Amino acid sequence: MPDDSKFDEVLIEVEGMRKWFPIKSGMLTTVKSHVRAVDGVDLQVKRGETLGIVGESGCGKTTLGRVILGLTHMTEGSVHYAGEDIRTMTNKDLRRRLQIVFQDPGGSMNPRMSVRSIVGEPLQVNGMAEGAELTQKVADLLDSVGLKREHMNRFPHEFSGGQKQRIALARALSLDPEFILLDEPTSALDVSVQAQVLNLLEEIQEKHGLTFVFITHALNVVNHICDRVAVMYLGKIVEIADTNDLFSEPAHPYTHALMSAIPEPSLEKASRRRIVLSGDVPSPADPPPGCRFHTRCPIAEEGLCDVEEPKLESIGEGHGVACHFPLGPGKKLPILDDDQIPPEDDDKPKTVVL
Amino acid sequence: MSENLLEIEGLRVHFDTLDGPIEALHSVDLKVGHGQIMGLVGESGCGKSVTSLVTIGLATCDVDEGSVKYEGEEMLFTDSVANKKTQDISGWVTSVAVLALIFAFFWMILINPLQGVVLFFMFLLVSTTSWLWGAAAKSEYRRHQKHLRWVRGNEISMIFQEPMTALNPLYTVEKQISEVMRVHDRLVEAETPRYVRVGQALVSPAALIRDAFSSRPQASIATSSVLAFVLVAHLSGFADSAADAVTAPFVFVFRDLFWVLALLLGGYFVPSRSEIEALNALYRPLEYAAPQVPLILAAALVIFLMLWMPLSALLGMAVISTLLALPAIILLDYLRLDPAHTRQVIGILEDVRIPNPSAVVKMYPHELSGGMRQRVMIAMMMSCEPKLLIADEPTTALDVTIQAQILQLMRDLRDEKDTSILLITHDLGVIAEMCDAVTVMYAGSVVESGSIGDVLSRPRMPYSIGLLHSIPTIDEGSDRRDVLPIIPGQVPDPNLHFDGCRFHPRCPFADETCISTPPPMTEVEPGHFAACHHTDSIGENVAEVQAAFDVFAAEYELEGVA
Repeated sequence: MPDDSKFDEVLIEVEGMRKWFPIKSGMLTTVKSHVRAVDGVDLQVKRGETLGIVGESGCGKTTLGRVILGLTHMTEGSVHYAGEDIRTMTNKDLRRRLQIVFQDPGGSMNPRMSVRSIVGEPLQVNGMAEGAELTQKVADLLDSVGLKREHMNRFPHEFSGGQKQRIALARALSLDPEFILLDEPTSALDVSVQAQVLNLLEEIQEKHGLTFVFITHALNVVNHICDRVAVMYLGKIVEIADTNDLFSEPAHPYTHALMSAIPEPSLEKASRRRIVLSGDVPSPADPPPGCRFHTRCPIAEEGLCDVEEPKLESIGEGHGVACHFPLGPGKKLPILDDDQIPPEDDDKPKTVVL
Repeated sequence: MSENLLEIEGLRVHFDTLDGPIEALHSVDLKVGHGQIMGLVGESGCGKSVTSLVTIGLATCDVDEGSVKYEGEEMLFTDSVANKKTQDISGWVTSVAVLALIFAFFWMILINPLQGVVLFFMFLLVSTTSWLWGAAAKSEYRRHQKHLRWVRGNEISMIFQEPMTALNPLYTVEKQISEVMRVHDRLVEAETPRYVRVGQALVSPAALIRDAFSSRPQASIATSSVLAFVLVAHLSGFADSAADAVTAPFVFVFRDLFWVLALLLGGYFVPSRSEIEALNALYRPLEYAAPQVPLILAAALVIFLMLWMPLSALLGMAVISTLLALPAIILLDYLRLDPAHTRQVIGILEDVRIPNPSAVVKMYPHELSGGMRQRVMIAMMMSCEPKLLIADEPTTALDVTIQAQILQLMRDLRDEKDTSILLITHDLGVIAEMCDAVTVMYAGSVVESGSIGDVLSRPRMPYSIGLLHSIPTIDEGSDRRDVLPIIPGQVPDPNLHFDGCRFHPRCPFADETCISTPPPMTEVEPGHFAACHHTDSIGENVAEVQAAFDVFAAEYELEGVA
């Protein structure tokens, strides 16, 4: 990937990463096959940027994030963090420098711990603060995410979803990490609260000089918070580009379909027909041969797309796409009218059975 | 037949909690026309779901006032005061009388039999009479509940947000859909009468054996030859010579036959040739063969035990296990659907465009993906052809591409069957895509309603404007570093009391009037209502309001989050 002028230092380098989960069955739990959650991903995250990872559920975006954090061990490939292999880093070091915010803020907090202990626990574990100093630090952290000092002695159930997400963010910030993985931080929130949290994230990134990887399935959120976006489909990156390039000139048909599927709250856009992809994401335990998207792709060609797997190739500055027929300025997907949308075929791939 | 299919007027409800009553809805007016898609939008905690649950009589709250009319018919039930009092008193009297009855029983046993018997029957009479009295007072309520049960499904159906929790994980898709139809008498006549089916179930073990021979002939022959050997050994007296538990293994080890039979029986669990080849492609043969060793040992043990036991015990075990299995066999077959009903269910699944419906009917919910589950939910709700479909956040848990499919399906169903839809969501994008009209709710009251064009292009209530404003767009013009416009703060706690407008703490235009007087619902243009004191000044300049929101939000941030 050619470098972005703003961000040139590579913070995280993922090379040929695979994560296969075994499917066990039978009397003596023999391994029958594998779910290929992540199947060969090369990725670079530059220091100070926000990289968005977008895709439907089951495409491996969360697994990719967990492997980067060292929460799951990879099957193959390597992940280097600031030049250091994460497999050789100690857990304590990893957790201090890399943090995570989960999707469901309520589920990631102990309901019997007060906010002070939730936010302060990482500091205690790492021996960074005790007693009054700890209280002061927690108060500062809460202040930085827009909460008040009084909130310190309350319990998670006393907060709304947006406030819980703020607490989760304060906890992630407590060790002053360099990198935070945001795993769908706003998908459980209302739109107005989502906007509040997104603004807060941007503010915090600027203040602390953080690097974010933002995992989500909502492309409209990506547009607001990310510098670069990687689109994933069935364990592979199908397109990666600067946000502006991606939104102005999506090259992969899947990206295009994803973008057109976002419902927009304005009438002119609602009247515009969208590309409706038929069927579901195929099972990652048995991915289709060739291009993995060809079973749902409107422009797939027989004999090429279902045989040969496209490589991630550069088609512009910092813009990579894995498609035999990348779309371009003069080439768009056909947008169908209501009556032209073809009925779904019976022989389309079966659903994800997981 | 009235003009609107569903009319909700001035609905006010409260929940009784340990901390006192909490008013969940203050004033809700909502109209859904025939064949209309009405959107109900608002943040969580605004009372959208409560409204829909009250409509179909499933809410656990008490209705204070208001009316819900479905096709001109009142759906809410209000008991007369006298009736309620009767029920109350009867409840008390019955419970006290039953306690006294128990007391009388012990009196009879322990103290005085004659007095005890007299008291016992006296209290029995009192408790029965009062119970019957209360039941009579409740009969009207019961009739109404019965009517509502008929309405739900036949007339009004509901799709829930999370299909996995709404579907039963223990039953197949066909079973669940056909159950709805059976309850509402929509099933066609069965192909095979039930007595024939029970007869078939009784001979089904024979069918089981036939199936085993046809699907896995080699393994079945191996097993039956082992069983034949055991039987012959017993009848010929050969087993008797081996009946000594200590010597038996040696007898058979020396004769080799024992191990051959064990291999044969163990072979029953061994996969077929094609499966072995597929596995060998993944693993080396040795690794594959090793796990089979315990199986072969287990088979050897089984044969050893079968020979060691007397024949009568073996036969006894066979008879007992068959007898125990029979009720299960009959029950399982009873649960199996008639082919005619299965075909009917397949037809319904085709209506909701499920690919390969004949395979899907036999699946359990966990085998389906999120979108398919939601389609099954929709199929279940459409199976009785209701006139009104209430969809409570039907796509919130789904991916965008699947959401697009489901929305299109719902639109198609409306066009085909002329079903009205009440679509509850917090996503204004979905509303713009789907609805003909929209109602915006905030903190338990309707704040704006009108046709989709009116509300989305000329919103007049600041809350609607803020909501519209705060959605990130994918416009090419919008830049990444733009600060997203927000509505500061959050929906107020429902037990907070407001004299005036409930939105005033978050509103940039709030003044003294807003704090003291609740805003009336005014008609700002024909068919477009908004509840705000400032509809005139807000006018149609939406951009100005948005700018005001941004300034206000910045000030609000400084004050800190409440």
